[in-house]
Amino acid sequence: MSSIIDIIGTSEFWYSVIRVTTPILFAALGALISDSAGVINIALEGSMLWSAFAGVVFSAWFDSAWIGLLAAIIIGGLVGLMLAYFALNLKTDIILSAIALNLMAAGGTIFLLFVVSGDRGISSSLDSRVLPKLFTGLADNVPIIGPVIFGHNVLTYVAFVLVFVTWFFMFKTPMGLRLRAVGENFHAADSVGISVKKIQYQALVLSGIMAGLGGAFMSMGYVSWFSQNMTAGRGFIALAAKAMGGVSPIGTMIASLFFGFASALANYEAEISVPAEFVKMIPYIFTIVGLVVYASKKQSDVKRARQKQAEAATSSKGGE
Amino acid sequence: MKKYISLLLVLMLALSFGLTGCAGSDEPAPVTETDVTKVVLLINGNLGDRSFFDSAEVGFNQLVEDYAGKVEVKIIEMGFDNSKWEPGLIDASEAGYDVIVVGTWQMQELLEDIAPQYPDNNYIIFDTVANPEITNVYSMVYKQNECAFLAGAVAASVAGNEPIGFLGGMDILVINDFLVGYIEGAQSVNPDVQVKISYIGDFNDSAKGKEMALAQYQSGVAIGFNVAGQAGLGQIDAAAEVNKLAIGVDSDQEALFRDMGEDAKADLIATSALKEVGNSLYRAIEMHMDGTLVYGEAEALGLAEGAVGYVKSQWIIDNGYADMVDELVVKIAAGDIVVSSANGLTTEELTTLRDAVK
Repeated sequence: MSSIIDIIGTSEFWYSVIRVTTPILFAALGALISDSAGVINIALEGSMLWSAFAGVVFSAWFDSAWIGLLAAIIIGGLVGLMLAYFALNLKTDIILSAIALNLMAAGGTIFLLFVVSGDRGISSSLDSRVLPKLFTGLADNVPIIGPVIFGHNVLTYVAFVLVFVTWFFMFKTPMGLRLRAVGENFHAADSVGISVKKIQYQALVLSGIMAGLGGAFMSMGYVSWFSQNMTAGRGFIALAAKAMGGVSPIGTMIASLFFGFASALANYEAEISVPAEFVKMIPYIFTIVGLVVYASKKQSDVKRARQKQAEAATSSKGGE
Repeated sequence: MKKYISLLLVLMLALSFGLTGCAGSDEPAPVTETDVTKVVLLINGNLGDRSFFDSAEVGFNQLVEDYAGKVEVKIIEMGFDNSKWEPGLIDASEAGYDVIVVGTWQMQELLEDIAPQYPDNNYIIFDTVANPEITNVYSMVYKQNECAFLAGAVAASVAGNEPIGFLGGMDILVINDFLVGYIEGAQSVNPDVQVKISYIGDFNDSAKGKEMALAQYQSGVAIGFNVAGQAGLGQIDAAAEVNKLAIGVDSDQEALFRDMGEDAKADLIATSALKEVGNSLYRAIEMHMDGTLVYGEAEALGLAEGAVGYVKSQWIIDNGYADMVDELVVKIAAGDIVVSSANGLTTEELTTLRDAVK
């Protein structure tokens, strides 16, 4: 047990928590946006994978990490757009279409990787670029928190800034209001002249872009190559983080950090003197506990709301 | 317009499914009777893995070059869709090849089903052992513990009194066989060596591999050994971040990173422990042609047969470890050093071993 405390006491550990959280946070914000508009996007994994791939390929072709990033964003958004077209125009089941897109990403990225580079497992012949780290100088100069919050990849800062941008977008802009209205009750939204389809299109594209940023981080920040299925389920973990975080971007961020913390801790299994199998369970136990807490809180909220309603009903009857 | 877009999308979907597995639908070439030995290699996956299958291809190319006119080799990539593997194997079995080669544990059960149905065919399977009652299958496994021994000896020599790292893909027999050899090799140099052991849990997630390797390096590990396929490459990234050393596996990972244009990372790869699948297949087909290959048998091939090895990298030579490692190779090949295997170890014994070096 003392070894766990030793680990948690190091700045390297917290630095690693933030890094582990970054791709999950991007995708979780994407999930939040699409869920808020009433369309579930489980193609986040596919968006991430395509973007991770596009980032590597375009950064190698144009010799610029920024063009790679741009391509990753565009491709991520395109996957969202495809899902929207399938689900909203062609009226397919959104879950099934998303599964198809995920499968297509797993096979398609490897196929295209072979076409463009001749590699089939890992992008070894592509001389790709990585996105820069920021504030590396500050890391050593600011005591205690310096090494934790400085020196991260530029996309890590983007992710955390996006939490607040998303919050502002969802709760302070007319577009965000419409988005939430569509998610809450699309009949009502429709009746006041909001184009439900348009809003849902926008939400899915936006969520694809978010996941795309996460994918770019995977292949141009976390590591410096693309390899087959490298996102390894982070798009799905993000869905769990979103479910834990409720309807607010801040909650999503906290849930993602929570998950990042658990994953980072599990990575220290060699240091922790409990069986490795147990350590590997930590992130999933955290998720289940989080979901239970979230569900029970929701249930009690519903109960309270019902109680209030009942009270209001009786008091209004009494007033008659 | 809408129609065309949807048609296009459907086509794209179909293509991406079809093309990834297209190699599997290759029609086996009609085989005519001659005194040429016709060999087919069925790959359950694709070439370009920079490991097993690429090594097999290199071995076969060498064979075809050395025995020009006597051997023909066809390589069929069946893709990652395992529903295509069984028909692929049946097709090859009916096409009249002299030897049909498959590899990895994923093909074992299929081969055990199909081989008895074609008693006149000869099959070779590598990296796993088929049921010995099937008399037309020759199985080869690799003594990965022997090449891991070399890695362990190098790691412990480099580390001095600092701990060394082991980053495995999964807690499974093959990986643990590496581990056992690695620990013994390290102990042969430093009996009190401390080994930090982590398992990633899969073979794809290189980001997680990087995290786990960083955790090891940060806890004082001087040099790590990754045995986790692509996920293990994360260790090299981690090594570059903290400027420490790493040891690769299966293929020459230093060359891999040089290809990627990342010389700084390649410089940190001391050596790689190799499974020389190509050499072992070359040897097996050669023996088949001589009539000395015994079907129905299983062999474990190691340093003596050239089926495992290590990369004599510039780093190894520059740092003066080449003589030491070569000496170990000779001793192991001659049987003077017998490396233990995870084969036959119980879970408890393995745990005891791991705890002993914690």
